[in-house]
Amino acid sequence: MTYREIIKMSVRTLRINKVRTLLTVLGVIIGISSVMIIVSAGDSMKKLVNGQLASFGSSLIQTETRVPEESGGASSQASGIVVTSMTLDDREAINKLPNISRSYANIIAQDLLSWEGNIKKTIIFGVSAEFIDIDNSKLAEGRFFNIEEDDNLARVIVLGSKIKEDLFGNSSPLGQSIKINKMNYKVIGVMEPRGSVLFFDYDTLAFVPVQTTQKLLLGVNYIQSISANMIDIKKDVETKEAINALLRERHDIDDPKRDDFQVSTMADAMDILNTVIGAVTLLLIALAMVSLIVGGVGIMNIMYATVAERTFEIGLRKAVGSTKKNILRQFLTEAVIITILGGIGGVIIGALVTYLIYVIANSYGFDWPFSISYIGILISLVFSTLVGLIFGSYPAKKAAELDPITALRRE
Amino acid sequence: MIELINLEKDYTNEELVTPVLRNINLKIAKGEFLAIMGPSGSGKSTLMHILGFLDILSSGKYIFQDKDVSSLDDDTLAIYRNQKVGFVFQSFNLLPKTSVWENVRLPLLYSGGLVDEKKVDQAIASVELTHRSKYLSNQLSGGEKQRVAIARALVNNPDIIFADEPTGNLDSRSGTQIMAILQKLNAEGHTVILVTHETNTAKHAKRIVRIKDGEIVSDEKNDEQIIAAKTELVK
Repeated sequence: MTYREIIKMSVRTLRINKVRTLLTVLGVIIGISSVMIIVSAGDSMKKLVNGQLASFGSSLIQTETRVPEESGGASSQASGIVVTSMTLDDREAINKLPNISRSYANIIAQDLLSWEGNIKKTIIFGVSAEFIDIDNSKLAEGRFFNIEEDDNLARVIVLGSKIKEDLFGNSSPLGQSIKINKMNYKVIGVMEPRGSVLFFDYDTLAFVPVQTTQKLLLGVNYIQSISANMIDIKKDVETKEAINALLRERHDIDDPKRDDFQVSTMADAMDILNTVIGAVTLLLIALAMVSLIVGGVGIMNIMYATVAERTFEIGLRKAVGSTKKNILRQFLTEAVIITILGGIGGVIIGALVTYLIYVIANSYGFDWPFSISYIGILISLVFSTLVGLIFGSYPAKKAAELDPITALRRE
Repeated sequence: MIELINLEKDYTNEELVTPVLRNINLKIAKGEFLAIMGPSGSGKSTLMHILGFLDILSSGKYIFQDKDVSSLDDDTLAIYRNQKVGFVFQSFNLLPKTSVWENVRLPLLYSGGLVDEKKVDQAIASVELTHRSKYLSNQLSGGEKQRVAIARALVNNPDIIFADEPTGNLDSRSGTQIMAILQKLNAEGHTVILVTHETNTAKHAKRIVRIKDGEIVSDEKNDEQIIAAKTELVK
């Protein structure tokens, strides 16, 4: 029997039982589209995160405070322990390293901003004046504060676009005084909208000189991180080591386990995030695979019902000369056609949902790219065919091994 | 063409062995029209299934065209069922929701290579059903269904046509038509083996083998008077 005949016959049989075929195909569609949506979403997420990280500049090297490992590490930090050992002097020292061109320090505070009765709880980003040169944030109007203002603890403030909207609406805030903690801060600039970067909305921040934030808002002497530009990014490993050595010396640390800081480059950050996204995607794919397997069991179930229902037909085919192999091929082809239809349907639905996610994410301000993973499509189709072959094979084998006489009696 | 030597058949169900055929010795020559007669449960259908390669014997020998059938593998038996024999069943055994043409074509699908559509048309024409070619099997009368079954049995031009109670589900007029077709096929050179419990049907055969309780009780040339008397004996 030719494959063409087998396929024609299988399609005909499946068309006779349209509703049952459709429901079985639906099970596969759900599984395949889930896999495809997850693979594509994972791909988009990677592109989004990598794009956002790249917006910081690939030459950026960041030094952050952290609770030493021997004191509990990240879990202690999460529980509120603050490391106060990093200071602006550390930044000066890092600035003097050979591969560092410039840097900015930062510390984060939170306070109420008020103007003419409008009050807004805001994250205050205390940064050095060099922030505007190093970071990709741009000014929409006015200016950013300068080094002198930072050194003189000037009470000046630059507003993120959303904060400006919340407090001032459409009117210009330049030259106006905002009250923070009973002191007036003069608005000297407004940032351009930037959106969320790594789920951190820059537009809701207010920028104040780092020393003003330390001394006037928080009453502390430490900073939380130093972001520096490297001259030659190929020397990132050496630069990282140089910062490690410098800060260990300055903080009297002789054992890396006692490091109260952590240095990371953009490449490190991308690696970590890609690993995390990859792992989460894999986990989700594994979960989606479960739905595919459920779809496969559905196929098995239907194929069993089909074999039981068509026992007489199998007997008749055997009586007129069909071999076991022919029967096996016919039932397997039916199972594979169901899964291939499910695969194609799943890819189409998956692509549509992926597009929907793209539209929704962008309408919420995320720069979410539309990404369809071709490998995802290939995996989906191959996997769906395999599901058909695996779950269809046992019922097909049962059909092939039916005794023709017993089968004919089932009419 | 066919020789059965001491053929026996038992059915085993959970260690319970039921003998169905006992010490069957039979020779059938090419071109014969043979009726196997016997009451229900006598083993005549089992004998036909063994002769038609649908079932296997328990002991003895079945020689078909000088070959010992017991030595043939599953695939060869399938080829024999496809090329050497054709079946006509009491309940027609047509594929439901399938056209006459496709039903008749069925054996050709398993003959290897491309299907010769002319053969299908010829087989349908030989049972005078060309005008019903596109009808679905369930749209036909009983007699027409059985003629489709005969066309299907004929399509591969087999050596033997087996007919198991071919008139059992038909009215007498249709039954006569079917038997006339079988006689015509026999006249054309096909060996016809008929299985029946009806004297009226068996009388169309040239030779009648009677079976009772799994054993051949008589094997004679057809003589209508003898049939009537022997039927009483079998009962």
